[in-house]
Amino acid sequence: MRKIFVMTLALVLALASCSFADVKIGAGIYRFNDAFMLRFRNAMTAESGKLGATIEIADGRDDQPTQDAQIDGFLSGDVNVLIVNLVDRMAAQSVVDKAKSANIPVVFINREPSLEVLNTYSKAYYVGAKAEESGVFSGQLIADYFKSHPEADKNHDGKLQFVLLRGQNGHQDMILRSKYSVETIRDAGIEPVELAGAIANWDKLEAMKIMNAFIMSIGPENIEAVIANNDEMALGAVEALKAQDYNAGNPEMYIPVVGVDGNASALEAMDKGEMLGTVLQDAENQGAAAVRLALALAEGRDVNTIGYPITDGKYIWIPYQKITRGEKQ
Amino acid sequence: MAETKSRSKRLMTTGGLIFLALGVILYFAKEPMGLNRKIYDLPVFLIIIGICFAVKGFMAKDKTEEEAALAGKTFTEFLTNNAILIAMLVLVVVICILQPRFMQIRVALDILTQSSTKLIMALGICFALLIAGTDLSAGRLVGLAAVISASMMQTATYANRFFPDLPQVAVWIPIVAAVVACMVCGALNGFLVAKYEMHPFIATLATQVMIYGACSLYFDMPPNNSQPIGGIRPDFAQIGQLRLFSGLWKGFPGISILIPISIVICIIIWFILNKTVFGKNVYAIGGNREAAVVAGINVFRNIMFIFILASFLYGIAGVLEAARTAGATNNYGNGYETDAIAACVVGGVSMSGGIGKVGGIVMGVLIFTVIQYGLQFINVSPMWQQVIKGVIIAVAVAIDLTKYRRK
Amino acid sequence: MSEYLLEMRNITKTFPGVKALDNVSLNVRRGTVHALMGENGAGKSTLMKCLFGIYEPDGGEIFLEGKKASIHSARQAMDQGIAMVHQELHPIRFRSVMENVYLGRFPGHMGVVDHKTMYEKTKALFEDLELDVDPLALAGEQSAAILQMMEIARAVDMKAKIIILDEPTSSLSDREVDHLFKIINRLRAQGVAFVYISHKMKEILEISDEITVMRDGTYVGTWPVTAENGEKLTIDFIIKQMVGREMTNQFPPREGKPSDEIVLKVENVSSPLPKSFQNVSFELHKQEILGIGGLVGAQRTEFVEALFGLRGIASGEILLNGARYSNKSPGYAKSRGLALLTEERRATGIFGILPILENTVIANQRNYAHLGVLNDSRRKSDADTECRKLNVKTPSLNTLIQNLSGGNQQKVLIARWLLTNSDILILDEPTRGIDVGAKYEIYNIMLEQIALGKSIIMISSEMPELMGMSDRIMVMCEGRVTGFLNKGEYSQEKIMAFATQFAGRKDSTAA
Repeated sequence: MRKIFVMTLALVLALASCSFADVKIGAGIYRFNDAFMLRFRNAMTAESGKLGATIEIADGRDDQPTQDAQIDGFLSGDVNVLIVNLVDRMAAQSVVDKAKSANIPVVFINREPSLEVLNTYSKAYYVGAKAEESGVFSGQLIADYFKSHPEADKNHDGKLQFVLLRGQNGHQDMILRSKYSVETIRDAGIEPVELAGAIANWDKLEAMKIMNAFIMSIGPENIEAVIANNDEMALGAVEALKAQDYNAGNPEMYIPVVGVDGNASALEAMDKGEMLGTVLQDAENQGAAAVRLALALAEGRDVNTIGYPITDGKYIWIPYQKITRGEKQ
Repeated sequence: MAETKSRSKRLMTTGGLIFLALGVILYFAKEPMGLNRKIYDLPVFLIIIGICFAVKGFMAKDKTEEEAALAGKTFTEFLTNNAILIAMLVLVVVICILQPRFMQIRVALDILTQSSTKLIMALGICFALLIAGTDLSAGRLVGLAAVISASMMQTATYANRFFPDLPQVAVWIPIVAAVVACMVCGALNGFLVAKYEMHPFIATLATQVMIYGACSLYFDMPPNNSQPIGGIRPDFAQIGQLRLFSGLWKGFPGISILIPISIVICIIIWFILNKTVFGKNVYAIGGNREAAVVAGINVFRNIMFIFILASFLYGIAGVLEAARTAGATNNYGNGYETDAIAACVVGGVSMSGGIGKVGGIVMGVLIFTVIQYGLQFINVSPMWQQVIKGVIIAVAVAIDLTKYRRK
Repeated sequence: MSEYLLEMRNITKTFPGVKALDNVSLNVRRGTVHALMGENGAGKSTLMKCLFGIYEPDGGEIFLEGKKASIHSARQAMDQGIAMVHQELHPIRFRSVMENVYLGRFPGHMGVVDHKTMYEKTKALFEDLELDVDPLALAGEQSAAILQMMEIARAVDMKAKIIILDEPTSSLSDREVDHLFKIINRLRAQGVAFVYISHKMKEILEISDEITVMRDGTYVGTWPVTAENGEKLTIDFIIKQMVGREMTNQFPPREGKPSDEIVLKVENVSSPLPKSFQNVSFELHKQEILGIGGLVGAQRTEFVEALFGLRGIASGEILLNGARYSNKSPGYAKSRGLALLTEERRATGIFGILPILENTVIANQRNYAHLGVLNDSRRKSDADTECRKLNVKTPSLNTLIQNLSGGNQQKVLIARWLLTNSDILILDEPTRGIDVGAKYEIYNIMLEQIALGKSIIMISSEMPELMGMSDRIMVMCEGRVTGFLNKGEYSQEKIMAFATQFAGRKDSTAA
C-alpha cells in the first residue's frame, strides 16, 4: 500500500504539481461536529496541502438548505471541483444537476447517492466504504467473542440475546449496519435474538438514556451483547452499563459492546476493557482518495491513475478494519 | 364540618395502614409463593406509601372552617385538579402490569437520578418565569458548562486531548471556570432585560445564539476540531457517577450522588424564595413590576441577580451532565430549556409571573420524568413520546388556568 | 310592552367563602339615568358583571323589554343591546381611535376591512356627539375623557339600549363632566337607558332620575331623585341608606396646628419635559397637610412622582430637613423618609396575586432581614398590628389583596408606608373610588400621623376633600404653581380661578 502511495505521489507531483496550485476544491461537510467527519476533513486538508491544491470546507450544520446555499456559493465562485458529504441523501440529484449545468465535477463522500443519480452525470463519483462491510465486521466481532467465550451465553440456550442501538432513522449506514451485523452472526451459526432496539440518532446521551431503560426493563443479566451503529452510541451504552457496575472490571458482570468508527474515546474504552471492539472506518484513505479523485477530475486526467481502484466506473471503495482490545493501531 | 375533617383524616390513616399491612404480608409471602419475579419490590413500595399516608393522616392539621369550605370540593373537581397526577399513576400501574420489572427500587432510584439535573434546570428557569419572563439560553449554557469543564478534565494519556499540554488540575478549577462563564452570560441576560427593559424572550434568544456560537468556536479550536470530548478523568466523572451506600444490602444499587445534590439545591432555592428579601422581591416584581418600583425595590439589581443565579444553576447542571456522561459536545443541553419550562408550568408556575412554588416544580419535574421514563421503559416509539409530552403540557396548563378563571 | 327596559330579579352570586349578591333586584326604565349606589364592596360591580355576562349568577333572572334574557358572555350582552363603559379603560394604544371604536366588528366584506367607510362612520358619530377627535389619531395619545367618549360612541353605534357607566367621572375635569352629561342627556332623550355607578353625590343628584342603593350585597331600595311632590333626595339621606347609619361629619376634626419647622423645601424644580411641571417651589412644614389642587393635566402626579424618584428633574433644588436631597430612585427616597401612595392603585400599588402580608411589608423588608434572610414572625406580627390598627377587613393576612374591596386595598397600601416610618407621606388621590365609610377612616389615619409629627402632601381632585383636610392648598395649572390658599380663605371659586389660570391661552404651554 505504502509503495503504491509513494509511487503515485511521485507520479502525480511529476505530472501536474505546478498546475494544482490553481485548483480549488469546494467541500461541503454535513456537520463539523462529528468525530468521523473530523478525521475525514483533516485527511482531505492534509492531502490537498501535500498536492499543492487549495480546499475550502463548509459546515452544513446538519441542514440541507444550508448546504445547498454553500454549494451554490461554491459553484458561483471559483472552485474547480466539488466534494460533497450530503446532509440528506435525497438531495443528491439536485446537487448533481447543479454541478452538471456548471460543468464542474462532483465527488460524493460518506453518504452514498443512488447509482441512477450518479449515472445522470459523467463527472459524478462516490468515495466511501461499503456500509454493509462495517455491519459484517461488527457481527464478526460479536460472533468471534461468543465462540471463544462460552460463558457469554448467559442463559445457555445457544442463542445470542442482544440489544441494538440504531443511528438516525432512514440513514443508509444505519439500515445496512443493523442488517448485516445480525445476518453475519446468523451466518456464523449462532441464532441472534433481538431483545430490544431503538433509534439513538448516533448520539451518546440519547444512547445512554435508552440503554439505561433497557437495562432496567430487560435486566442486565438477560442481555448478552450490545451492538451499536457507531462508537458514540456504544460509549453511551458503556456509561449506562457502568452505572450498574457492569463492564467495570468484574468478569461476572460484563456485556460485550461493539461500535463502528474507531474514535479515540472508543479506543480508550477498549483499553480499559469497557468495550469489546469497533470497526474502523478508514477516514485517512477515504479523504486522500476523495481529494485525488477530485483533482484528477478537475484536471481532466484519467481517473484510473490516482492509486485507488475505480469500481463500476463510479465508485472508490475503501475497506474497513476490525479493531479489538490490544489491536489498536 | 367537624365530622368531614375527621373523616378525611381517618380515611387517610386507615388507608395507609391497609397499604402497610398488605406490604408486610406480601414481603414475607413473596418468597414462598414464588412471586419474586412477578412483583419485585412492590411490597417495599406499599410499605413506604402506607407509612407516608398514615403519618400524613395522623399529623394532618385540623382545618379552619374557611379552608374546609374551600377544600370541600366535589369528587369531579378533585379529578380535574389532579388530572395529570392521576394520569401518571394510571400509567405507572399499566407499566407495572406490562413490565413488572418497573416495580424495582433501582428503577425508582433511577427515576430520581434522571430527575436531578432536570430539577436543577427547572429551579433556575423558574426565576425567569416568576418575573413573567423566560430563559431560552438555559440549554445552551448547560452545553457551555459541560464543554468547558470536560475540556480541562481529560486524562493525561488520552489521545485527543483538548489542551494537550494542560497539567492535571484540581477538580474544582474547571468547575468554577465553567460556572463563572455561565454566570457572565447570565449577567448579560440580566443586563439586557434590566437595563433596556428588553423582553426576556428576546434578550435570552440573543444570548442563546451567541452562547452556542461561542461554545462551538471553543469546541472547534484545534486540536479538538469539534470532536466529542472524551477521556474524562475518573475523579471528575465521580461527581456525577458516584453512588452512595451501594451494596448496603445485596442488590442495592446505591443512591446516585446527583440525588442529594439536587435535594440540597432544592432546599437552598426554597429558602431563597421564601425566606430572603431577594425571594420576596422576585415575587413582587413578577406580581406587579410598576408597584415594585414604587415600593422602592431596586428592580435592576434584582433582575441582574435573578439571571446570574439562574445561570449559576444551569452551570452546575452542565458540569453534572458532563460528569455523569463522562463526555461533552457543544450540542449538550440542546432543548433542555423547553423541558424545564414545561416541567415548571406543569408544576403550577404561571407564565404571567408571580406564581410558583418549589414543591410544585419538584412535582412537575417528577411527573414529567416518570412519564417519559415509563414510556421509554415499555419501549414506546420516541415519536409517540413527543405527542404525549405535548398533550401533557397543554392539558396541565389548561387545568391550571381554569382553576383561576372559574366563574 | 313592559314598564321597564331592564329587570334583574333576585340575583344571587356566591364566591368561595363570600356571598357577593343576595337577592338583588334592579329595574331600569326606558330613557332614564338610573344611579346604582353603595359603598365599595356593596356588590355594584358584581351585579353589573352578572348583567354583562362576565359572571354567571347562581340564582335569579334577567328580563329585557319584558322577555327573559339569557346572557352568558359579553358578546351576547352586546348583541342584546347592553354596553358597558368600564372604570379603567384599556384601549389598544397603538391603533387608531376609529379602529378602537369598530374593534371586533370592522366594516367590510369577506375579511377585508373597508377603512374609508370606517373613517366616515366614525367621523359622523363623533360629530353627532360633538367630539373633536381625529378618527385616525392613536388611541394611546388620547386623554381618559376622550377614551371614555370613544367607548360611549362605540355603544351608541352598536345601538345599545342600556349603557352601563362605571365611575365615568373619576378622572374627568369639571368641563369634561359637563360634556359627558350633555351627551348623556341627548341619548336619554333618544330613549337610551343608563346605569350610572358613582360615588359623587352631587353628580348623581344632577344627572339621574332614579337611585338604587345596595349595601353588603343586598338590595336596600329604589327612590326617584325628584319625588312627585317636587321634593329632592338629600345627600344625607343617600349616605344614610348606603352606610346604614347617620353620617353627621364628612371630615374628622383637626386638632393642633402645623409647627413652624420646615421639613421640605422645594425650589424651582422643573421637569426635563417642557409640557410637564416647571419652576415648582413650596415649603412643607412639620405636621402640616399640604393639599395640591388642580385640574386633570395640571402635572401634580408627575411632580410628586419626580419628588419620589420615579421621574427625572432637569433643574431646581430640594432640601429635606435642611440637607440636599436628590431624587435618585424610589429606594433612596424611601431611605430619606419619603413615602408615596400612588394614584393608580391597581397599576402601581397593589401586588394583586400576592397575599395581604406580602403587600403590607414589601417596602420594609430590609428591616426584617439579617444578611438578606427574613425574620418571618416579625413580618407577620408587624403586618398584623398595622392592618388591625387601620381596621383592614379581611379573613386573614394570607388572603390575596385582589380579593379585597378598593377601600381595604388602600388601607393596606397606607399600612405599607406607615411601616417604613416615613416622615413625609405623599398621598396621590388617597380616597379615589373608595366608599364613604372607608374615606372617613383614611382621614382619621392622616390626622393620627400628623399628631405623631409627620407631614403630608395630598393631591386631591375632590374639592370638599381638599378644603376639608388641608392646612394649606397649593394649586397647579399646566405644570406651574398658580397660587397658595391658607386655611380660612378656601372657596371653590378661588381654587378654580387658580386652576384655570392658563386655560384657553393656547400659547401658555409653549412659553
